[in-house]
Amino acid sequence: MTRSISVAYAVARKDLTSEWRTRELVPALGQFVVLALVIANFGFQIDSRNATVIAPGVLWLALVFAGLVAFGRAFAAEREQASLEAMLLTPAPPAAIFAGKAIAAALLLIVCEMVLLPAMTLFFGTPLNPALIVAVLLATVGMAAVGCLFAAIVARVRSREVLLPLLTLPLWIPFIVAGGQAVQVAMGASGNYNQAVALLIDFDILFLVLTSLAARFVLDD
Amino acid sequence: MSAIVAHELTQRYGSEVALDSVDLALDQGEHLAVLGDNGAGKTTLLRILATAARPTSGRLEIFGLDAVRERKALRARIGFVAHAPGLYPALSAVENLEFFCALHDVDRKRVPETLDLVGLTDVARRPAGRLSRGEQQRLAIGRAVLHGPRLLVLDEPDASLDSGGPDLLANVMRDRTVVLATHDHALANRLCQRTIVLRNGRSLGAGTRLRVVR
Repeated sequence: MTRSISVAYAVARKDLTSEWRTRELVPALGQFVVLALVIANFGFQIDSRNATVIAPGVLWLALVFAGLVAFGRAFAAEREQASLEAMLLTPAPPAAIFAGKAIAAALLLIVCEMVLLPAMTLFFGTPLNPALIVAVLLATVGMAAVGCLFAAIVARVRSREVLLPLLTLPLWIPFIVAGGQAVQVAMGASGNYNQAVALLIDFDILFLVLTSLAARFVLDD
Repeated sequence: MSAIVAHELTQRYGSEVALDSVDLALDQGEHLAVLGDNGAGKTTLLRILATAARPTSGRLEIFGLDAVRERKALRARIGFVAHAPGLYPALSAVENLEFFCALHDVDRKRVPETLDLVGLTDVARRPAGRLSRGEQQRLAIGRAVLHGPRLLVLDEPDASLDSGGPDLLANVMRDRTVVLATHDHALANRLCQRTIVLRNGRSLGAGTRLRVVR
């Protein structure tokens, strides 16, 4: 267990250090989410009356597309550098390598969320409160696990940019449904926040277990 | 004791046969050169020996272990230098090796001595992406020997190396079992006691280099 944690830490640290030095992904994703909000602001004519209804949808659309790019890059970069094989030919547990990459990709998406959520408050006047942050973070965990698993699978094929959304989006729907409900309540709409968050936690546990079991088969050959 | 015993190793990709019933036996400490034209099957053979690929059929034992079923256990004993260096361009030479220390669960103290072995001490803090192609190849060789493997599998390691390359290879190959693919017959003669020649995935013959020359 300690060995798996140290491997996951080393992999996540390596990915985050590489991103910090190259700044390939986060600035582009930050600009993307802000542009998505600007377009939504003009496209939907959002004001204080309809913000709590429309804003959660805009938030999840921006997050889904930013997530597809972030998780897709997690393994595509390794394949392009031919470094994934070198990593997998060590005795390190494949599930720990997968966990490290998923943690790094999730943290990069969280950095985007740190731009997205205040920008939503700025553009739409929606509240920025702990309940909203918790809901988004819980959804990010599960989305990262599923997204990275499929990113690892499609990284081997040429049409990965097309395949990744086709495989990932259907399995992200539970997070978007439960997360959407939690975010709507956190923004002031009526509904049961605790139930939605409990559902998000259930989905997180389910997909974390499933993806960690599947990761060794995906990465091992 | 035999280091490698391969019996009728075959690799197919669809209808294409990349490696066709190759037999191989190598004692511990022996150095074997794999020669052949492009597409002869050298890389396929080496990837199977490095446990990076599973053969379609045939049997392979490395240090007495089944290389397909027990490849996890074998990976700590094998070092592989592939065609592409496979480095992290944003990380320095030191950081690249330290990362692989963590994956191999070996002490980071090995990093300075490994950099010294491959002649990269002076550029240790330079990002791998800014090293020359030859320096990147040296770093890839350093990564392959970082964990002290008993078997070294080298796929054209002389590519991009400068005139000091053969001496570097001789140093890292010392006291290890080595399988080395190359197009350079002179290098193969200098570094290896035995040779196997592949053509269209088939072995044309294996033996001492004198026998192959004949």
